[in-house]
Amino acid sequence: MLDGEYGEGYEIAMSVLVKLGDIYGADRMLKVENVHIDGAAYGWINDSGLELIRKLASSGARFQVPATLNPSSIDFDMWQELKIPPQVARKQLRLTKALKKMGGTPTWTCAPYQYGVDLRFGQKVAWGESNAVGFANTVVGARTERLGDLADVCAAVAGEYPNFGLYLDENRRGQVLFEPNRLDLDAFDSTDYGVLGFIVGSISKARVPVVSGMPGKVTIDQLKSFCAATAVGGSVALCHLCGITPEAKTVAEAFHGSKPEEKITFEAAELEQARQKLSTANDEPPEVICIGCPHCSVQELVKVARLVKGRRVEDSVRFLVFTSRAAKTLAEEMGAVETIESFGGRVIADTCWNFVPSKARTLLTDSVKMAWTSLSKFAKVALSNIETCVDVAVGAKPRR
Amino acid sequence: MTRVRNIVIKCVPVSKGVSEGEALVTNQPMCLYDSLDPKSGRIVNRRHELYGECVSGKIFFFPYGIGSSTSAATILEASRCKKAPSAIVNLETEPIIAVGALLAERLYGKIIPIVHRPEINPAEVIRHHRVRVDADMGLIEVLELDRDAAHVKANNA
Repeated sequence: MLDGEYGEGYEIAMSVLVKLGDIYGADRMLKVENVHIDGAAYGWINDSGLELIRKLASSGARFQVPATLNPSSIDFDMWQELKIPPQVARKQLRLTKALKKMGGTPTWTCAPYQYGVDLRFGQKVAWGESNAVGFANTVVGARTERLGDLADVCAAVAGEYPNFGLYLDENRRGQVLFEPNRLDLDAFDSTDYGVLGFIVGSISKARVPVVSGMPGKVTIDQLKSFCAATAVGGSVALCHLCGITPEAKTVAEAFHGSKPEEKITFEAAELEQARQKLSTANDEPPEVICIGCPHCSVQELVKVARLVKGRRVEDSVRFLVFTSRAAKTLAEEMGAVETIESFGGRVIADTCWNFVPSKARTLLTDSVKMAWTSLSKFAKVALSNIETCVDVAVGAKPRR
Repeated sequence: MTRVRNIVIKCVPVSKGVSEGEALVTNQPMCLYDSLDPKSGRIVNRRHELYGECVSGKIFFFPYGIGSSTSAATILEASRCKKAPSAIVNLETEPIIAVGALLAERLYGKIIPIVHRPEINPAEVIRHHRVRVDADMGLIEVLELDRDAAHVKANNA
C-alpha cells in the first residue's frame, strides 16, 4: 500500500499513519474493525479537508471497514430554513458525495454508539469525535485512540491505525482516583453527570481517571453526557467507572494493581463551583435554548416531548433540539417530534449546533460540552438541566 | 537589540524542519478547534488568556492540547490559509496536532516544526523572545531578548 501500488489515495493515508506511528513509537500497524469519522462536516474540515477527501475518493480509495459519519454541516432536509449559506451546503454536498462514494455509513451523528454501529468489549476500532471516543473506551471497553480529523478518514481507507496509546494495556492503567463523598449519584440527572465529568476531565488533564462509587442505575444518556464533558474538561479518552467499565470491575483492577498517583475527594461544593465556571449568564434571559449536545437519543426526545406537551415557547426564544436522523425518524413515529414542534421547538437532524447561524448573544443549554465550547459563538452561556431549560423557554425566570 | 544570552533547551522532535520567530506563550492548555480561527490565525475563544492574539508566524507554546479532535483539520486549514504558526512547542504534543502537521506537509508542502517533551518548561524562558525551533535536532534556541520586555523585566525586578 505504502509504495502506491493501490493508488495515490491509499498511499497518502498509509504514509501519514505510518509516520504518525513512528512519532509515537508504534511497533506496528493494527487492523481495526470499524472507524468513526469526525471530519464529515465541511464546517469542521474546511476547504483543505474537502480537498483531501475528494482526492482520496477520486483516486479510487474505498473504506476497508465500516465507517460511520459524524454530523455534517447541514440538516439535509432543513438547511434552507436554518439559513445555512448555500455555498456551505454546496460544499457539504460535495463532501457527502465523496464520503458516500468511499462507502461511509451516513449516520451524521456524534453518538454513533446509539445508532449506527455496534461495539464490543476489547474490540480495536479507530474513532474520532471526543465524546464518542470516550464512550467507546469507557462504557463499552472497546479500544481506540483519540483520532484527529482526517486521520480518521485515513484509518478508514487503510483499515489500520498505528499501535500506540490506548490500544496498549499499559496506557489503560488508571492514574487518578476520584472518590465522590456524600453525593447522591442516584439522584443525578444528565447535566449533573456532565458537571461531574467536567471536574474529572479538568483535574485529570491527559491522565486516565478512575471514579469509584458509580451507581448501577446510571443511564446510557447520562454516561454520554459524562464522557462528552470529560473530553472537553481535559483530554480524557478513557475513564474507568468502577462497576461500569468492563475492565474496571474494582478500583484495584482499574489501577492494574498499582497505587493511584493522586486521590481526589469531591463533594457538592466542588460540583457547585464547576457549575458556576460553566455558566456566564445565570440571570440573563436566553435568546436560544439548545438541547442535544451530544445528539439526543430517542428516549431524550421523548422526554423533551413529555416536558413541553401542552406548553408554548416564548416568542423571544428559539428552542432547538439536535439529534440523529435515525433517532428523529423513530421519534416521529412516536409523535414526539410533532409535540416538540407544536410547542414551538425545532428538531434538527444530521448536524450540530455549531453550524446553525445565529445572531443571538445568550444561550441556555443542558449540555456541559456545549456550555464550555460555545463561547466563541455566544457572548453569554448558562447551564441548567433539561426541565429548567423547558421552564425558562415558557417564561420562567432563569434560576441562579 | 543586543544579544544577551543564548539558551538552548533540548526537546523531542515531533515533525521536522527549522523555523524562527517571536514566541507566543501560554500556560493554559489549548483546544485549537474552538480557539483558533484558521482563516485569520487569531485566538477567538473568550475564555482563553490569548484571546485576540494572532499565532500566525509565531513560535507557539502551549502546554498540551485539549478537547476536540477537529484540531487536526484546524492546523491543516491554517496552513492552507498561510496563517499557521511558524513552529509549535508543547510539553506533550497530542497525535491530533501531529496529524495536522503531517497532512499540511503532504498536501501543501508546508512544514511546521513541532517539538515536545522539553527538558525544562520553556514558557518563562522563551516568553518575549525571538526563538529558533529546530525539529530536526530537537532543540529550542532563545535568540535575543526583546528590548521592551527586558526593560519591563528590569523594572519589575
